[in-house]
Amino acid sequence: MTSAERLRSAMTRVTLDDVEHPLEPFWRGIIAYRVLTLVTVIAVTLYHLPGYTSMVGAAAVLAAMTVWTGVTSWGYLGGLPGAPDRRGRLALADLVASCAAMATTPLIVTDAALDLGQPGMGSIWTSGSVLACAVAYRVRGGVAAALVISAALVLSKQRFGVLELGDVELLVLAGLTVGFASRVLTRTAARLRRLAAEQAADAERERLTRSIHDGVLQVLAHVQRRGSEIGGGAAELGTLAGEQEVALRTLLTGGAGNSDASGRRDLGAALRTLSSPRVTVSAPAHALELAAPTVDEIEAAVRAALANVVVHAGPDARAWVLVEELGDALEVSVRDDGPGIPEGRLAEAEAEGRLGVARSIRGRVEQLGGTLTLDTGPDRGTEWVLRVARTDGARPGEIRRR
Amino acid sequence: MADEQAVRVMVVDDHPIWREGVARDLTDRGCEVVATAPDGPAAVRIASAVRPDVVLMDLNLGATSGVDAIGEIMGRLPDTRILVLSASGEHADVLEAVKAGATGYLVKSAGVDELLDAVRRTARGVAVFTPGLAGLVLGEFRRMADAPARPQGEPAVPALTERETEVLRLVAKGLTAKQIGERLVVSHRTVESHIQNTLRKLQLHNRSQLVRYAIEQGLADDD
Repeated sequence: MTSAERLRSAMTRVTLDDVEHPLEPFWRGIIAYRVLTLVTVIAVTLYHLPGYTSMVGAAAVLAAMTVWTGVTSWGYLGGLPGAPDRRGRLALADLVASCAAMATTPLIVTDAALDLGQPGMGSIWTSGSVLACAVAYRVRGGVAAALVISAALVLSKQRFGVLELGDVELLVLAGLTVGFASRVLTRTAARLRRLAAEQAADAERERLTRSIHDGVLQVLAHVQRRGSEIGGGAAELGTLAGEQEVALRTLLTGGAGNSDASGRRDLGAALRTLSSPRVTVSAPAHALELAAPTVDEIEAAVRAALANVVVHAGPDARAWVLVEELGDALEVSVRDDGPGIPEGRLAEAEAEGRLGVARSIRGRVEQLGGTLTLDTGPDRGTEWVLRVARTDGARPGEIRRR
Repeated sequence: MADEQAVRVMVVDDHPIWREGVARDLTDRGCEVVATAPDGPAAVRIASAVRPDVVLMDLNLGATSGVDAIGEIMGRLPDTRILVLSASGEHADVLEAVKAGATGYLVKSAGVDELLDAVRRTARGVAVFTPGLAGLVLGEFRRMADAPARPQGEPAVPALTERETEVLRLVAKGLTAKQIGERLVVSHRTVESHIQNTLRKLQLHNRSQLVRYAIEQGLADDD
């Protein structure tokens, strides 16, 4: 699986659960609330049943409430899969049904019972429709539904005292809170959805870019090959194409080897930026992370060594850079296929002060507490070997894989 | 080479210009290009039918993976050799391709003669190493050796002999097999066989890990 595919599948999971249907937990909560309040109301009504004007009427209202709870529970779950979301309308119907249940109060509950503080028909069960309207229509829906139920409460009981005032306060508060929470959740989900869409677009763009870059690399490689075959002016074009090919490939694969947030830098990636048609850089596939200043120093030393190759072996000499980790040490070798330095010439050159570049390499390596060795001879080329201890704590086993 | 039988090559690349260009170059120089394919699945299908000696494989095949295709082709045609010819030089991909069974790697900017030589050597079963690939393989063996203690039952990590390490390092430093032979006072055939052994160890280790994974996942058959 490519990283883009992984991202896409991870996003699908998030999308389905949280982003597409952020209010789903609310609806399930309302169903639970509805069932619990129904049980409570049935218990309280049965308790008061002997005192009612119409026991049959009370039983009929309770039966209707039970059926309606079943209907709304099914509806609030979302109905049949794939069906359009009609929960907003169902919440409004719920509001009407709740008011209807309350409206039966004067026919069933006696004035005396109401005076004693007994609840009217429906009572706390009806507040479920306020929550449903709040989830479906946010703050405005919640508050409006709370006011409707409050009005129904007051009208059906024909009373407005401390008890009723407390109920109205609780209803409005519930409508307001749930409506607000529903609004925040919906907006957050919308933002997440936008973000997910942007990420997917980014991943796609990156994939396209890669394929375009690959195409450019192909063409550059092609021009280089054909150019060198044809020769003459075309060969020059081919060389230019080859230089650009290496530069682009390094940019794409090495990521330029910038240091990360913790101030570490991948030595392999850093040295790969020095590749050119005549310089080949070989390094492990995994990252060799070191403190950024150490990598900078090594890079500068290798740069100096490569400059030295041009000076002493000519601009056409080829060079190879090899980066290796040897347990607790790192070894970087810079070799060229030039004529090499004959024995004795080195001391002579040093005496004449002509090893300036070499000395600057040595200086940098010694500053890092490393060693520099030179392997050279006629027909053997010249090879500088920089060896630096890994003092900054990163054990080879802990090297992060890219 | 004229008396030798022509090498039967299959070219897999998603860029038509490149595919045709390489096919023409190889045909002009005496190879027989028996098939071309634009993507991984097609490569696996066609290779099973035409059984080429050498598959010249790009790793960046649009939406499909060259590495997966290499694994499948090696599974079906163990005698076919795979030479990776890649423009992108994705280090991790190249390493995976070699682990999956490719026996050589060349960047696309390599000259025609270099390519032809690489195809012929691959057909003879000689590994084609660039200095870059040698550096990757060296690094991979080092990483495996340095990795933290493995759980019980994990197959032992293969190690390179001192001589193999020495040879790989010289390849990575740009020496040819002949130059290496001169330095180490051995024949260049010996050098080539050392190089090949390093690849075989890497591929065997990869395969044993796959088998172990398959057994763990209950995917392995008794036969």
